[in-house]
Amino acid sequence: MFLNNADSRFEDLFYSAVMLNTDMTYKTLRDLKENLVISNYRELHEKGLLNAIAKGEYKIRPETQLKIKKLLDSYGDLEKIANKYRQIALSNNIGVVSVQDKFYPYNWKNLSGMPQVFYCRGDYSLIDAMTLRGAVAVVGSRSPSRYAQYATDQICKELGNKGVTIVSGMAYGIDRQAHISSVNTKGGTIAVLAGGADNIYPPKNKDIYDQISRNGLIISEMPPGQLPLRQYFPSRNRLIAGLTDCTLVMEAGSVSGTLHTASFAANQGKEVFVLPNNIYYENAKGGLKLLEDGGNVLLGADNVIDSVARAVMYKRMALGCPGEVFFQDDKEDFEGQNDIEIIRELAKVKPEVISDEQWKILIRDALSLKPLCADELCVITMLPFYKVSKLLTELELNGTVCQEKGKYSLTFV
Amino acid sequence: MASKPNVARLFSCFATGTEVVDTVIEVSIAPGIPTFSVIGLCDSSIREAQGRLVSAFKSTGFTMPKGHITIGISPAYMRKTGTGFDLPMALGILFASGQLYLPQDARIYAEGELALNGEVKATPGACIRLKSVQKNPYLDYKIIPKSESASAGVAGFKGQSIDTLSELSEIFDGNQYKEAEFEFDLKDSNEDFLDISALKGQEKTKRALLISAAGFHNILLLGSPGSGKTMCGKILEGILPPLSRNELADVYSMNELVQGELSQLNYERPVRYVGPSITVGKLLGNAVNITPGEMALANHGILFADELPLYKQEVLDFLRGPLEERKVHLMKKGNLYSFDSSFIFLGTGNPCKCGLMYEAGSKCRCSEAEKIRYLSKISGPFLERIDIVSEMRSVKGEDLASIYIDKYKGESREYRKIVKRCWQTAHDRYGGDLLNGTFPEGDIRDSMRVTEKAVKFASELSEKGFFSARGFTRILRVARTIADINEAPDVTADEISEAAQFRMRGV
Repeated sequence: MFLNNADSRFEDLFYSAVMLNTDMTYKTLRDLKENLVISNYRELHEKGLLNAIAKGEYKIRPETQLKIKKLLDSYGDLEKIANKYRQIALSNNIGVVSVQDKFYPYNWKNLSGMPQVFYCRGDYSLIDAMTLRGAVAVVGSRSPSRYAQYATDQICKELGNKGVTIVSGMAYGIDRQAHISSVNTKGGTIAVLAGGADNIYPPKNKDIYDQISRNGLIISEMPPGQLPLRQYFPSRNRLIAGLTDCTLVMEAGSVSGTLHTASFAANQGKEVFVLPNNIYYENAKGGLKLLEDGGNVLLGADNVIDSVARAVMYKRMALGCPGEVFFQDDKEDFEGQNDIEIIRELAKVKPEVISDEQWKILIRDALSLKPLCADELCVITMLPFYKVSKLLTELELNGTVCQEKGKYSLTFV
Repeated sequence: MASKPNVARLFSCFATGTEVVDTVIEVSIAPGIPTFSVIGLCDSSIREAQGRLVSAFKSTGFTMPKGHITIGISPAYMRKTGTGFDLPMALGILFASGQLYLPQDARIYAEGELALNGEVKATPGACIRLKSVQKNPYLDYKIIPKSESASAGVAGFKGQSIDTLSELSEIFDGNQYKEAEFEFDLKDSNEDFLDISALKGQEKTKRALLISAAGFHNILLLGSPGSGKTMCGKILEGILPPLSRNELADVYSMNELVQGELSQLNYERPVRYVGPSITVGKLLGNAVNITPGEMALANHGILFADELPLYKQEVLDFLRGPLEERKVHLMKKGNLYSFDSSFIFLGTGNPCKCGLMYEAGSKCRCSEAEKIRYLSKISGPFLERIDIVSEMRSVKGEDLASIYIDKYKGESREYRKIVKRCWQTAHDRYGGDLLNGTFPEGDIRDSMRVTEKAVKFASELSEKGFFSARGFTRILRVARTIADINEAPDVTADEISEAAQFRMRGV
């Protein structure tokens, strides 16, 4: 799916301009929301409402009123800035996604403090694929050892081929390797940038930036044109951790941004895997320290897949409440994946309307991550065994699924 | 006034295995130096009767007549054994010597062993014999030992029982013969089975057990140690309906042969547990005195074979026949004796040497060659006799907790209702006591109502290597049972596809 909607999203752009160029804070916004002055951030663009707030028609804290007054003073300038954003976005094919959108990433929806508006460039359907098949953050040093680089290459390729999306920050070293190894796999790759989505940083990574914007997805919290400032990086790391189901620390020195990502992930209740390394190697001290603190040892892609599979399964179980999650359905390039998420939701609410073909799609999808036995398939699809067994025989007959050691797996033919 | 015939004629019978041979016992007493001979290929247990008779007569006030006593037991060409002829022989002597009055043209059936003090005792195989005797309408007097009452009750036998020889005079001289049915002590059915809800999260196995019970299909469970395989025997017992009256007689008669008279009976289906140390002889039974082995004892019930891959090869090879034919045969001196052995064969085993092959996260350390070697014993021809194969995995912690916390017992009862309904459907369809699993081999497509399309679908599966030619009819049978469970009149491709999931393919 390709988003080029900057034209119709002026309120979102305006909001970004406000947050970046005035001293407006989340606290102020919360105050306005709690006092029922505005219902969502988009109403900041309504001049009439702002005037009314400035005149003191609502009961709010005086600081908030002051800030709104300041905002009103610079209203014209902000609109100009927002217009500038719009032009850059349009000329660079950058899309705007708001928390109000149904296709806002599911993983972010469940966390607090995730951006209200973000910008993206590339194939947005990766976000849906990621929700369904899981995503892994791969982070590490900018000047890694050959060992860490080799391991990154191997593990990212393996995970990518299994359909897991690799998310990283497009920095030098491990990040770069992770993107290169996964951009052409089934899972694909997502880069989260600290500056605007059009801003290639570091500039030498232009080659992979081009590749990702063609085959992968580039995401940024910052409006188009914004330079990546030093203070934006920790926030970017938080987004990476939030977007994924677990985090792999390939190599980290004792003082490193990588450790931020890991601690964000741990705080969000996600598993952190650390590649074990030589204890005399200075640049790996941070990672080893994480292991001492209870990180998981990364022994291969299998550990990671188990963890991701668990997370994905819980996510799928959470889809029990209809309306909470929405997935895009226009992914022509995903064979057989059409409407899959809608089917899934329907399966929870009204299983009787689902046809056998649609159940088969669900079973294939469940098997795409790892082989499962019939009992596990019953749990995932919430179907009785006789139904599952019938579908499995038919899938086996047409060669999509094979059985070995009591487990069913996809044959990939 | 007692009439004194030259020859007294009585009826009795003997049983080898389940085969009952009616016999006629003739006693003649001729004047002369006292002799006692029993003729008609009798073994020493019958010939020794002289001692018991003399002593028993003396204890109860009768006397052994003087003269040539010749006792002929026919058919004379058959070898006979057993002490059950004591009572008819005694009666014959008493009639022939005029000590008891033989009513005109009376046909008298008698059986029982005599003790030296004149007591009449039971002999093994009573249930089988009495069941056959009851079918004979021409007998006027039927006298059995009192200790055979339970067998007589189960067999539906009508007659009179006696405790000692002295009671005979009341019956014949006092003319007090009263024919009555026998009652037996029926214990309440044991409801203490394991509920099927204990198989939490093992949907395939639950379904497999239901199908197995509903169609009397043989079943094999492969799974890791501690996954609850052994438990499944108890569970399967709980979802099978209780024995019918006829079946109770069959089951009881086998038990009676092995253990003698039982005081208490119930309608529970037998479950015979056998382990890897079992031998062919134990399974088959004793060929010398023709007593049933584990297979015949499991008739109408379950033969539970634990740790099947550890069995001796000869045992597994032997099992194939009875599983197919649902009968076991014993050979003795050129005669073939058969026992019915129509049971659900429930085999369990580890899927590989360490048993962890099906566990999550590749914990199994067996090499490929080892795995193949381990299962090769039960694969191939043996597996063709198994209708259903299911895998089991160890139970997850949270499920384990809920098994012990929820004491819900209703699920097995619901399953039993379904099973009962399926049995009724099958009986209506085939007539008689046949079920989908026990229906004789042959072209079963019409009798099982398999649609043309379903047969085509099944042959397509067969071509793709899902199962072999023999597996083909197995699949149709299992599919028929699934259709019965779903209350569908015809077997369609849907049922075939489900049935195919219960075949084991390769290692």
